[in-house]
Amino acid sequence: MRVTIDLEKCVMAGECVYNHPWLFEFGADDQPRVMVGELVSDEEKRGARQAREVCPSGAIQLFED
Amino acid sequence: MSALAHEIDPREFDAPEFQKNPFPMYQRLRDHHPLFRDRFHNRWMISRYDDVNAAFQDNESFDRALYKADGPYVFGSSHVFGPNILEYGNSDRHRWLRNIIAGQFVGQGLVSFIPFIERIATELLNDCAKDGEIELVSQFSNQFPIRVISNILGLPRADEERFVGWYQALIAGLGFGGEHLARGIAARNEMWRYLEPIIEQRLAAPGDDLLSKIAVAELDGQRMSMDEVKGFIALLLAAGGDTTDKAIANMWYHMLYTRPDQFEDVKKDPALWENVFAEMMRYDAVVHVQARFTTREVELHGRVIPERALVILLLGSGNRDERVFSHPDVFDIHRTDMHMGRENRSARYKDKLPGHLGFGVGQHFCMGYAMARQEAVIACTRMMEVMKNPRPKFPTHEGITSPNIDSGGFRSPRELWIQFDR
Repeated sequence: MRVTIDLEKCVMAGECVYNHPWLFEFGADDQPRVMVGELVSDEEKRGARQAREVCPSGAIQLFED
Repeated sequence: MSALAHEIDPREFDAPEFQKNPFPMYQRLRDHHPLFRDRFHNRWMISRYDDVNAAFQDNESFDRALYKADGPYVFGSSHVFGPNILEYGNSDRHRWLRNIIAGQFVGQGLVSFIPFIERIATELLNDCAKDGEIELVSQFSNQFPIRVISNILGLPRADEERFVGWYQALIAGLGFGGEHLARGIAARNEMWRYLEPIIEQRLAAPGDDLLSKIAVAELDGQRMSMDEVKGFIALLLAAGGDTTDKAIANMWYHMLYTRPDQFEDVKKDPALWENVFAEMMRYDAVVHVQARFTTREVELHGRVIPERALVILLLGSGNRDERVFSHPDVFDIHRTDMHMGRENRSARYKDKLPGHLGFGVGQHFCMGYAMARQEAVIACTRMMEVMKNPRPKFPTHEGITSPNIDSGGFRSPRELWIQFDR
């Protein structure tokens, strides 16, 4: 599974970064970015699903294998 | 003026004048004591926008909870709430607990609830807006958010009335202490006896409701204890109810009494209720203070706050900081120097404007921020549809006040009478 952020939609709410700091971080440009390529563990997958749920702008996309 | 003229006697914080109108004190703090050591109450105070904002975001130095020297947390308001997830501070456990429910309050979970919020608003208004006048606080705003929350939890609609009662007692207990505290604890115990079989039942047969999600959520294979689940529910009722309730009353107060001229704009364009919400949260937010404990020595304005010190973040003061907002003491829904749209946990906005501090920032940013704004705007918009030509019943008003501002008392008008055409 992979997770991506649509930066056009993103409003920089920071919910993904604050709630799942192992998966997301703010870059130097203040935009969030994904830190993990392929999500392997259940923990990572759950985190990505929760991040998609909580994203206020609907900018987080999941790609299941 | 001599330096002494700016001295602050910390007993002023306990005076009724401060509870009523804290803003002159805030200005003295910002201008002359940006880091104030209050020896009388044994605490430190931060009052400028940039300092409050930075402290909110500095989890390495400031924690929501106070650690005992040998490890576990000291629980603060647990006497009313029971175990309280807010008090888990900056731990992974706090983040985990929040993640269980955050999706319901923000993002897609919220979107699915909007029709429901609208239905509850309409039901309540049909009930109370019959007579051409309404006392907004007791007849509407006091009941609306708590009914929304109890439905999100999936509690029986027939029991909503009881929840409104428990909630009012809980809040009074938290805000006033004394006999109110005793009543708050009694209400909590009654509510918990009521909730226990419901929680058991959801554990056995979980549904889509929030209470089920909370009950069955696992961290490292462990569920929350029964006490934690109950504490969580009590917290949601209190945090999700009282604040939004008071936000709605504050918005109407400012439109009716502070800026009747701008109220005319809102009547023409109800979408401006979004701006009223944002400006209310800056000008005189429901909550003015947040408490933190230092986890290490912190240097600020040439002084050192010791480790494990209580630091009060005066966000109500930061919101009036003239270093950030022009004419900060003017309530202006057309403000162009503040982000007026939906708030962000990160305090970063694409329009590059500063946001208000009314929800906090960062790790402990209000989880219900989007829900609160949505509920408040829906309620106000619906009221405008039902109540034609709304106007104050009385020409003057005692204003917004709070029982105890610097220990977290919520600011709102006690009563707000509105007359309207039917």
